[in-house]
Amino acid sequence: MGTLTLAETQDLHTNFYTFEGVVRALNGVNVVVQQGETYGLVGESGCGKSVTVRSMMRIVQAPGRIDSGRIVLFLNDQERARGIEIVQRTETYMESIRGSDISMIFQEPGAALNPVLSVLEQVKESYQFHRMEQMIEETLAAMDAERSRRRRGSLRGAGAVIQAALLRKELAATRRFDERVRRIDNELYQLETSSDTRSEERKADLNRSRDHARPRTGIVAVARRIPFLRRYRRRLDATVRAHVVELLRTLGIPNPENIVQRYPHELSGGMAQRIVIAIALACHPTLLIADEPTSNLDVTIQAQIVELIKELKRTIISSVLFITHDLGLVAEVCDRVTVMYAGDVSETATVRELFRNPLHPYAVGLLASVPKAEQAEELAMIPGAVPNLIAPPTGCRFHPRCPRRMDICVREKPDTVEHTPGHWVACHLYTGKDGGHA
Amino acid sequence: MSLLSYIIRRLLLMVLVLIGVSLLVFTVMMLLPPGQRVAAYVTNDRVSPAQMDAMIAKYGLNDPAPVQYFRWVRNLLHGEFGYSITASSPVIDGFVRFFPVTLGLVLFSAPLIILVGIFLGTLGAVRKDTPTDHFTRVFAIVGYSLPTFWLGLLLMMIFYGFAGIFPPGTVSNDVRNIIYGEGYHQYTHLLVLDGILNWRWQVVGDALYRMVLPTLNLVVINSALIMRLMRSSMLESLGQDYMMTARAKGADRKTLFRRHARRNAMLPVITVSGLTFAGLMGGMVITETIFDRKGIGWWMAQAALQLDVAAIMFNVLFLGTIYVVINLIVDLIYAYVDPRVRLS
Repeated sequence: MGTLTLAETQDLHTNFYTFEGVVRALNGVNVVVQQGETYGLVGESGCGKSVTVRSMMRIVQAPGRIDSGRIVLFLNDQERARGIEIVQRTETYMESIRGSDISMIFQEPGAALNPVLSVLEQVKESYQFHRMEQMIEETLAAMDAERSRRRRGSLRGAGAVIQAALLRKELAATRRFDERVRRIDNELYQLETSSDTRSEERKADLNRSRDHARPRTGIVAVARRIPFLRRYRRRLDATVRAHVVELLRTLGIPNPENIVQRYPHELSGGMAQRIVIAIALACHPTLLIADEPTSNLDVTIQAQIVELIKELKRTIISSVLFITHDLGLVAEVCDRVTVMYAGDVSETATVRELFRNPLHPYAVGLLASVPKAEQAEELAMIPGAVPNLIAPPTGCRFHPRCPRRMDICVREKPDTVEHTPGHWVACHLYTGKDGGHA
Repeated sequence: MSLLSYIIRRLLLMVLVLIGVSLLVFTVMMLLPPGQRVAAYVTNDRVSPAQMDAMIAKYGLNDPAPVQYFRWVRNLLHGEFGYSITASSPVIDGFVRFFPVTLGLVLFSAPLIILVGIFLGTLGAVRKDTPTDHFTRVFAIVGYSLPTFWLGLLLMMIFYGFAGIFPPGTVSNDVRNIIYGEGYHQYTHLLVLDGILNWRWQVVGDALYRMVLPTLNLVVINSALIMRLMRSSMLESLGQDYMMTARAKGADRKTLFRRHARRNAMLPVITVSGLTFAGLMGGMVITETIFDRKGIGWWMAQAALQLDVAAIMFNVLFLGTIYVVINLIVDLIYAYVDPRVRLS
């Protein structure tokens, strides 16, 4: 098709090991997000939309676990050819790409912000985790500019020299640390993917030295704790703060200097969601995952947030993965869409194609249950409820609720077939395996 | 400035609380016959019945209750707290003698109790369902359910009885000679602090040495509650949505636990820590009795047994003050940690 893949999952199984039993939340999910598209993930509550994207960021909460499958990212040109497989990657590596290359915004903006930290403290972290080098360099550059403007030899000048020296130290330490972690991480990844059984000891060694690696050592670690020397941190903080304020301004937040000092409980829902978006966008991610970002907002605010995301899609982010149960929203913002049901991918197509020609009985039912303005008769609905995923239905998980159920649906999980180019469906009506009607 | 006015308002409120407490205590004391209440004015052992009646008349112990109450309050305001038979001295002298013993132990053990509780509670939450977690939980349940006196006696038996280390009491005789000897100034009456100020390390060492067992006893018993609370509160904040946001922006484990979870989890712990601290100030009756430390708790117990009216009234008022002040401090800390709390 000439499009480039940005992220894909292959046969992803994520299970939750609860007290009642194993919840098989994802049953072999295949999802492909392409460069530059807005990709929708639709389905009822509990169908595995959120678990899919959390798996993609590897932030599935305990007792959940990715049990099998691959998640491959093609984030930059170096990795373009093979992609990086992240299920095997170390946690440190994941920390480095979360918030930097892939970010996420959440359903409930009020709960997604930490109540005891100010807006500044929360947005700042995105820069602190991923853009420290840049921040220090900018601070140094600003100090240089300032010095050339002022006469030499003054007492304040001497203080600035010390501060600059400490900043340079910190910069070197940050680089050293990043380089070291990257090196350890790469070696671990090599060991993990190779089948060498003697590598266990080396792996343990590497893990240990990574855990003990500290971002700051020597003079910097000491200077940070001494009140007088610590002043250089203030300059750094000022740089980060300027970035935060600027970011909030680009997101259309009025009076950002004031907002950064506020705490989450002082913000309206729409404003809180903008802050959550700011946190996610601080480092200009390649992929933004939006997990039902508007479901808990007022309708007018919803429209503003959707507009904002569309706008950001044009300017900053390459691709958006949009989760929602609102089909109207899908029609408005998405290019392609996948319908999920009970941990299975039912159907994937472009939005036009899906709305015009839904194939899977579940997708058909879902579309029929959207109220329309000219509608006079009663709203169609899908009978039954989402199954319990501790003991999911055999075969196709939709079969107990399916109006077009066949014998084979009970026995066998349908393969995903490409019905027409770009239109994929997982249903026995289209696999060619006809078992006859039940 | 709103902070200052808040503190002033709270302190004024404290006066009301103290009036309430004093009324309550006074009412209870009025249930005693005048013949027993007169003890607060008797300063020697040999008093004849006739003298007693004379004193009852003199101090107006048969007057109507309100009259007596106001007289008592007026005496308090003039700094006349009466005579304590259990301390064999005026109440205020007894207080100066007993209180530093209690305060010394509280200042030493309360931070340990709180730190141990927070540390083990956090550890249990972070390593949920691992052997570490199970260990801390067992420790908490055992600590919480052990009777104070039983653990105290056990510690005493094992360490002092069998091993001969960590003797009871506040100081050894040698050290007592130093304290009451030439050239030693009791600036604060706190043994450790005075020892340092007088540059007598023997005093400091001995005082600390004898605080080990009572502190251990208090830590095991009292940190259990804080530990349980910290664990559950930490688990709760680890499950919150904002932790997901923090992970999604790339926070490492250390930042997640320390910055995002622990700060929220500390909120209920602050309240309970304050109450624990206040409780220790007056409630160490058993610990002080077992380890032979003559502090406020011990004095209160003696006073209650011997109906030492003046001492009981004074100490109850004092504890009321302590509770109010500590609650005020807790509220201030709370407002500092949690921006949602407004002081108004």
